[in-house]
Amino acid sequence: MENIETNTRTQDTPAPVSFPSTAWFQALADLMNTDRDTHEHLGFIDCVAQFTVLDGGPDGGRVAYQVTFEEIAATDVREVTDGDSAGASFALEAGLATWREMIENIAAGDGRPDLEHTLNAMSHIGTPIALVADDPLERDCYFRFNQSLQTFVNASCQIVTVFERA
Amino acid sequence: MGQPNYTPNDIKPLPVALPLNEEGLAFYEKKYNRDYNQWTEILQKNVERMTKGDLSLHWMNTEGSSWGKRAKPSSRGLTYTDVNKLATSGKMEAETRWMNFAPRGSIREPYFDVMPVIEDYTVASRDELWADNVVTLYEEAVARQWSATRDIPWGELEPLPEDLEKASCQLFTFLTEVEFVAGDFPAKWLYRIPQDFLEVKSFLATQLMDEARHQEVFRKRALAGGGLLHASPGFEWALKAILDAPTHTMGTFLLNLLGEGLVLSIFRSGEMIAKTHVDKEIFRRTLQDEARHVSYGVLELKNYLDTHPDREKAVEEMHRFADVGEQIILTAFTESTVIEPVSILLGGGLDKIEQGLEGMLKVWAMFIEEYLQRCDRAGFNRRERCKIPIHAPW
Repeated sequence: MENIETNTRTQDTPAPVSFPSTAWFQALADLMNTDRDTHEHLGFIDCVAQFTVLDGGPDGGRVAYQVTFEEIAATDVREVTDGDSAGASFALEAGLATWREMIENIAAGDGRPDLEHTLNAMSHIGTPIALVADDPLERDCYFRFNQSLQTFVNASCQIVTVFERA
Repeated sequence: MGQPNYTPNDIKPLPVALPLNEEGLAFYEKKYNRDYNQWTEILQKNVERMTKGDLSLHWMNTEGSSWGKRAKPSSRGLTYTDVNKLATSGKMEAETRWMNFAPRGSIREPYFDVMPVIEDYTVASRDELWADNVVTLYEEAVARQWSATRDIPWGELEPLPEDLEKASCQLFTFLTEVEFVAGDFPAKWLYRIPQDFLEVKSFLATQLMDEARHQEVFRKRALAGGGLLHASPGFEWALKAILDAPTHTMGTFLLNLLGEGLVLSIFRSGEMIAKTHVDKEIFRRTLQDEARHVSYGVLELKNYLDTHPDREKAVEEMHRFADVGEQIILTAFTESTVIEPVSILLGGGLDKIEQGLEGMLKVWAMFIEEYLQRCDRAGFNRRERCKIPIHAPW
């Protein structure tokens, strides 16, 4: 385990959470659900977003997590076996190094990524993050709710993240 | 400079004030005098009753309605979906004969013969308008409105190097130019749609508001960065072609599915290549709105084709329309006023425009593939007939 934390811990800061893991995405979901004012201002978000770490599994294989958004809450977080994207509106797929770069960049900006590390900037041309969806209408959910999704991942600055394979 | 070669006596009198208003008023008077008997009969009956001190209270009679069932809110409030579960909300017929303002679900049948007809309501067929996602998109649009004045961190805007600022301002000028057609087109049709299709009218009203805000935010950004730059004739022809579309479905295809699909791609590119957080925020907000309009366009076309009594004929007509529309849209998207500024922003400066153009090649192919996928999703296969090349023409 690489013990590099994105936040400097003090006695008041929460315990580190590993990325990728269900616990990490659940922590993000919890942050969203306690920050209702921000998300209410942004509006309803209804979709299932999958975050796939292509080499994040214990053997260097795929590991994926689906987050279900309903209204202004993240209502469910689950790990998906073999990174299967069935049931997701769309999947964002990238290697661990890319996800780590994004999360560290958000933390360095205290919750705001720099110009090159927003979700859209990293996924627009398919690399380093690939946007994957079977149905173009479901893929468009990624765009319809983009600001909410960006705000969702921006909250990762409040998590003390350590990076290790699941 | 010499003296003017005319005298005060040569000056012609001003034209009669507002001749069109005079003409319009005369027509209005004639029209309502023509229908005088119909509306004065209602007035007379009401006056007689009130003079006698009688009450009507006929409106308390609920016969012929499903009065008594109450709409219940869901967790997100009282949505159209919630109220439409009730019979009292009224059934949306495939063809409406209600060319007036009587609300769907009201007791209106007894009054049919004495109501006026709104001549402008010409779209009587649900399947020229409907999309299965229109109610969801309307509620989403209402919930996700934002303010170009308040929600953009304008105070953080810093001047860019001249080439990047000019490229940004040209891009925002082009976007200002195109945005209101996406308001004018639904506006043109909104008043032709009878009230029974209230969900569609409501969604189109949100699209109007979205486009007003887009025009506003792009105009403000250009003016905050130095000013508006050049208008684009190629885009003007594309915008006119959208407004002139012969049917609502055809125009919605050209505007929402193709045009806004491409503009959505430009917004996504804009967010990616933005040189300031202000621009990133602008593009993230606008791309959300645009994606809703695209989603309506896809399922509106699908519904139209799926419900058409002669699908083959409908598909062929759409192909003929798309053959023209795609070429005109291609004209627009080859304008230097959009390709060059985007390439400069993508490359990182005027001296890197070649790199930017190369990057645009990849993005172009992605744009067109996404358009073709949306057509496929609507059941409209344009892959063999598409007039826009999959590879950029440079």
